[in-house]
Amino acid sequence: MFTLNGEIQELPSDWRDETLLDLLREHFGLKGAKFGCGAGMCGACTVIIDGEAIRSCTYPAADLDGVTVRTIEGLASRDALHPVQAAWLEEAVPQCGYCQAGQIMSAVALLETTPAPSDEDVISAMDGNLCRCGTYGRIRKAINRVSEAV
Amino acid sequence: MNRRAFLKACGIGLVALIGGGAGVYSTVPVIPRRPEPDLKAAAGWIAYRDGSYQLTLPRAEMGQNIATAMKQIACTELGVPWDAVSVELHDTARPGTKSTVGSESIMLFTEPLAQACASLREAVDSGRAIGQVDVVARSRDDLRVFQKSGLIGHSPALSQGLEIVTGKPLYAADVDRPGMLFGRVLRAPASTEIPSRPLAWNEQAARAVPGLVAIVEETGPAIGQANGLGIVVKRPGALDAIADALAVDWEIAGDYPRADLPQAIDVDTALASGPLPHISMDGAPEEGSWDVDMRFDIPLAAHGPIEPRAAVADWDGETLRLWAGTQDAFYIRDFVSDAFALRPDAVFVQSCRIGGAFGGKTTCTVEAEAAALSISVGAPVKVQWTRAQEYALGFHRPPSSHRIKARLGEGRITDWDHAQMSSHIMFTAAVVPAWMQSGTDFFAGDGGVERGMAIPYRLGRARAAYDAIRLPVHTGPWRGLGAGTNALATESALDEAAHMAGHDPVAFRLAHIEDQRLATVLQEAARTSDWTDTPKATRQREMRIGRGIACGIYKGVSYAASVAEVMVAPDGRVHVTKLWCTHDCGLVVNPDQVKAQCEGNLIWSLGMVLSDNLRLDNGRVTTEFFSDAPIPRMSDAPEITVKLLETDAPPVGAGETAMVSGPGAIANAVFAATGKRPTAFPLAGAEFAL
Repeated sequence: MFTLNGEIQELPSDWRDETLLDLLREHFGLKGAKFGCGAGMCGACTVIIDGEAIRSCTYPAADLDGVTVRTIEGLASRDALHPVQAAWLEEAVPQCGYCQAGQIMSAVALLETTPAPSDEDVISAMDGNLCRCGTYGRIRKAINRVSEAV
Repeated sequence: MNRRAFLKACGIGLVALIGGGAGVYSTVPVIPRRPEPDLKAAAGWIAYRDGSYQLTLPRAEMGQNIATAMKQIACTELGVPWDAVSVELHDTARPGTKSTVGSESIMLFTEPLAQACASLREAVDSGRAIGQVDVVARSRDDLRVFQKSGLIGHSPALSQGLEIVTGKPLYAADVDRPGMLFGRVLRAPASTEIPSRPLAWNEQAARAVPGLVAIVEETGPAIGQANGLGIVVKRPGALDAIADALAVDWEIAGDYPRADLPQAIDVDTALASGPLPHISMDGAPEEGSWDVDMRFDIPLAAHGPIEPRAAVADWDGETLRLWAGTQDAFYIRDFVSDAFALRPDAVFVQSCRIGGAFGGKTTCTVEAEAAALSISVGAPVKVQWTRAQEYALGFHRPPSSHRIKARLGEGRITDWDHAQMSSHIMFTAAVVPAWMQSGTDFFAGDGGVERGMAIPYRLGRARAAYDAIRLPVHTGPWRGLGAGTNALATESALDEAAHMAGHDPVAFRLAHIEDQRLATVLQEAARTSDWTDTPKATRQREMRIGRGIACGIYKGVSYAASVAEVMVAPDGRVHVTKLWCTHDCGLVVNPDQVKAQCEGNLIWSLGMVLSDNLRLDNGRVTTEFFSDAPIPRMSDAPEITVKLLETDAPPVGAGETAMVSGPGAIANAVFAATGKRPTAFPLAGAEFAL
């Protein structure tokens, strides 16, 4: 048993050999986390497990027992976007958008532990999240926007 | 569904037919068998029903955010608020549209869409609610878009932005079908230009892995000459295990003769056996000694989109439905219907938002694999390439080798001679069958390789010639095509000429520029970056700091100039600290997204100079992960300042323009900082060490 976006879930026995990424996308239908490299090198699959940004493409589903998983689908409340999501729209960050769910989850994990991160904090938290469109400047601005609002 | 049926199906509303007068379509046969951009066929992109408007995007959406720009055009010309128009991506039940390439969307579709919306507006205003609206082309002066009214020049909320930040399904791999299975087609670890096929495999071992549904021998067309062996499974995690268990024994027909790429395209070796056959500038430089005589080598490079190619195919025994992240859904339809002997109207392709394409998602590969597997097992199948497949089976920017010579007289270039050896971009082996290649090689040259060789300077006696030869790896369009790589070489050589002449790089360029728009972007780049005459290298402790500049014109219509500041460490590592870019693409529909394209091009420029490369072994790309082919990270990204120069010129593209100025600016900054001219890319740190 584990918690997924606030709800208790059971791991189906025939999904034990899958990665968390495939479990989320193909069993739970949560398509926000993306497959980019399958080796934890690009960050497109990032989710938050027990408060930490984790690469779901290399996280075995079998290890989920007792943990709390948050995905991008669980960020917004019923009537409001999460401040990081809102900042992403205000800065018009996405180009193709494929990496952005992972970027947002890494940023949320950073800002929860470090509400006013330094430039070095931002780079060390975000440097493993690749973006081929080149939106890094806007990502930094969006993170700063949230951090300044705190 | 034929066109008549389509229009009838829409019969409960108003459909604008885009009429004549907007025939500005390119006629370059980029890809064979693509739908011709027939004007009549461009019908029905904008419709009115029950008080609201539906824009069916006649372009692929891949991050250029063209959906937002076209919605701005539609709202402006219709005279309706933002929420009155809904946007959907096209499918092949619609009339055909040309592929989304070459930064053409704003340039070619702004006016037809505005014309259609203007006529539709008139029809609605006159009280009509049903039927077809024939679009009567009016003068541009009578279109609101060209008067820059309404939403033109604004940057409203991104179309699909909310869906992106909330993780909604948008991309091909996000598609689910009832009973969907997962597939992969394995191919030999060899050059895709060597015939190969599966010879034997361990079926028993594969069957021992839970989840195997089928081993498929009919996997559709070869990729190049690489035939595959398919596997279909119940859950995606079984794919790797079954691929390993099969331990396929491949028949590979020997080695490719030109497996050493740098040697195969060595420009000096080619020139030793005579002049290069295809001419871009036909001046006759005089023989004699040269003031600049340099060679530039630029390697093979991947597009590296974060989304590996993906498709979902669903065959029901009569029709094949495909969901694809492609720059040309109609080409996918035609390719698949031909490959599997299906009537074109039995194949239906839905274009999905693309997770980065950059010219790379223009051929049919993973879509045909998914189709073959779905047809074989009679169930929906999802295929997404692994990162290693992206490198091994996708096509790449061809490597190029340049020799550039220039002679100076009284501070001006009197003679210029640029020779380039590369491989194909337009008539690539990824799309042109072998029998046709010899013909295109002999007669046509390759406009993609040539792009940018005719540089926008008055140079006296100027010659530029090239040749493209076949390589064991597939090459093709990559952001900017030849314009990016050619400009890196020519802007470096020009900078060297300025240095030899003892002139400031800005003044030296201006002395050779006749095009006023180019002069203006260059002067503005210098002004916004506080450029001073030939900026001297400075030192900050042991770091060497320098600035460089470059400029250019993309496809004859779009202008950019860039300034770079770099910091070079004692060990020779280069860090780009600042980039400025000035940009003139005429009328700007969405300034923020034009800036976003400039920012993207500048980050690509950085990758081009500092990291883009691929590892090869015996003519096969062996790069498997981003760690082997790094792309820029946040820590590499400099402070970027983009300035758009709005002019009254018609709107043109912005998706690739700054590729003509960014790389040269960075390379020239490295020269300014170190006194060493970068000539072999990507830069090896040691060469610039103290």
